Amino acid sequence: MMSQYKSVFKDETKLDINYVPYKLPHRDRELRLLTEFFSFILHAPGKMAQRIVIAGDVGSGKTVLSQRFGMNATREAEKRGINLHYVHVNCREYRGSLFLILYHAVSVFHPSFPKRGYSAEELLQILLQVLDEQDAYVILTLDEFESLIEREGTEAVYKLTRLQETRVNKPQRLSLICVMRNLKILEKLDASTRSTLQSNVIHLEKYSKRQLVDILSDRVSLAFKPLTVPEDTVSLIADIASSEGGNARFGIELLWRAGKYADADDLNVVTPECVRKAASSIYAVMRKSEAAYLSLHEKLFLLGIARFFKESERAYASLAEAEQAYAVVCEEFNVKPRSHTQLWKYLRTLSAVGFVKTEVSENIGSRGRSTIIYLPRISAHELEKELTALLEKDV
Amino acid sequence: MKLEDVLSSRLRIRIIKVLIQVGELNVSEIARRINANYKSTSMHLKILEDEGVLQHKTYGRIRLYRLNQSSPRARAVQNLVEIWEHANKGER
Repeated sequence: MMSQYKSVFKDETKLDINYVPYKLPHRDRELRLLTEFFSFILHAPGKMAQRIVIAGDVGSGKTVLSQRFGMNATREAEKRGINLHYVHVNCREYRGSLFLILYHAVSVFHPSFPKRGYSAEELLQILLQVLDEQDAYVILTLDEFESLIEREGTEAVYKLTRLQETRVNKPQRLSLICVMRNLKILEKLDASTRSTLQSNVIHLEKYSKRQLVDILSDRVSLAFKPLTVPEDTVSLIADIASSEGGNARFGIELLWRAGKYADADDLNVVTPECVRKAASSIYAVMRKSEAAYLSLHEKLFLLGIARFFKESERAYASLAEAEQAYAVVCEEFNVKPRSHTQLWKYLRTLSAVGFVKTEVSENIGSRGRSTIIYLPRISAHELEKELTALLEKDV
Repeated sequence: MKLEDVLSSRLRIRIIKVLIQVGELNVSEIARRINANYKSTSMHLKILEDEGVLQHKTYGRIRLYRLNQSSPRARAVQNLVEIWEHANKGER
C-alpha cells in the first residue's frame, strides 16, 4: 500500500519567484514613496507623467516593490474609473530590444498585433495611439534596465523619457519605472536623459540579517504548515542569504529547497541540516581538494563541528560546544587535542576557506559576547563522510 | 449587397470564422490563416466592411480588422457561425 503523502508545505506557490506578497516587510517606506511619486495618476491622470528609477542589489526587493506598487495602483485606479495598466517588462528577457519591449506593451491591448512591418519608433507612436483610443494610462516598468541601455544606447532611452514633447496639449499617458542594480550605467546616457532619470531615484539598501529573518518568517507563515520551520532554521537561512549580499530572493529559494529536502526525507520539520543540504545543492559541491589541504587538527576540528550538527539538529554551535566535539574526535583518533588559542586559529582558517561561518553574538541572559559557528553551505552528513575518509588516510 | 452574395464566398466565411476565433488581426495574418493571397483577402475584407460586418483601425501601416460589434448584422453572423460550429462539434 502506498504511504499517504505528507508535506511540510501548506502552499509552496507563496515561495515562487513570481509571487508578489501583499505585505513587503522593510520596504513600506519605499512603497509609500513610490505611491507619492505617482499620486497624480489617481488625482489628475494625463496632466503629467512620471519617470522613476529604482536601484538596488540583487535580491533587494526592486522587482517585488514595483509589482506590488503596480497592483495597488491599478486597483485604486479601477475604483476611481481610471483606465490604468501596469506593465512590467524584463528588458533582459527581450534582449534589451526597445522594439520587443514596446511590442509587449502594445500586445497588452492588442494581443494579436503583428510583429513585423514597422520600426520601434513607429511602435512607440502606435502605443500612444492605442492609449489615446482607449483613454488608458500605462506605468511601464523596465526591469533590468541595464540591458536596454547596453543594447539600444542613449537614443532609445531619450525617446522613451521625452516622448511627451511631441504631443503638446495631449494627455500624458506613459510613465516609466526603470529598475536597475547600479546607477553607474546611467553614465552611458547623454546628460539630458540622465538628468531626467536621476531626479527621482529610490535606492534600496541591502537587507540586514534581521530584516531577512522578518521576510523569511512572513513567507514561512504563508507557505508552510504551522510549527514545521523552527526559528533556528529561519535564522540559518537568513545568515546564508545575508552572506550573499542580503539577497532575499536567494533566501526564499533556499527556504523552498530546504522544505523539499524535508519532504524527501519524510521529516515533519525543516531542520538546519535540510538547509545545509539545500545550500550545497545550490552552490558548487565542496571540492574534495579543499578539505585535503587542511592540517590534521583542522580536519579533526571540522569533523567535530560536523558531528555536532549532525547529531544535535541545531543550526548554530558555540565555540565551547565545538571544542567539546573536537576533544571527542581527538580521543577517537588517539591524538592529543590542541589548545583553545590554537583552535581559534583553526576556526579562522576554516572560516576563510568557507567551510564554516562564525558570528559574534550577544549572550542572552548573561554578560559578554560569544562566538557562534554554523555550516553555511555544506551538509553535515556529507562533510563528516568526506573528513572521515581523509582522516583514515592521515592517522 | 444581398445576403446570398455576401455569404456565398468561402473566403469571406473563413475570414469571419478566423476573426470570431482570434478577435482582431492584420491583413497579412488573415491572408495566411485563410490560405489566400493579400490582394484577394483585402478585397473580401473591404466587402465585409462595406456591409457592416467588419471594421478596422489603422496604426501606421497596420490595419487591424475585427467584427463590428455595434452592427446587428455582425452579431447575427457571429451567432450563426457559433451555433453552426457548436452543432458540428456535437455531431463529432
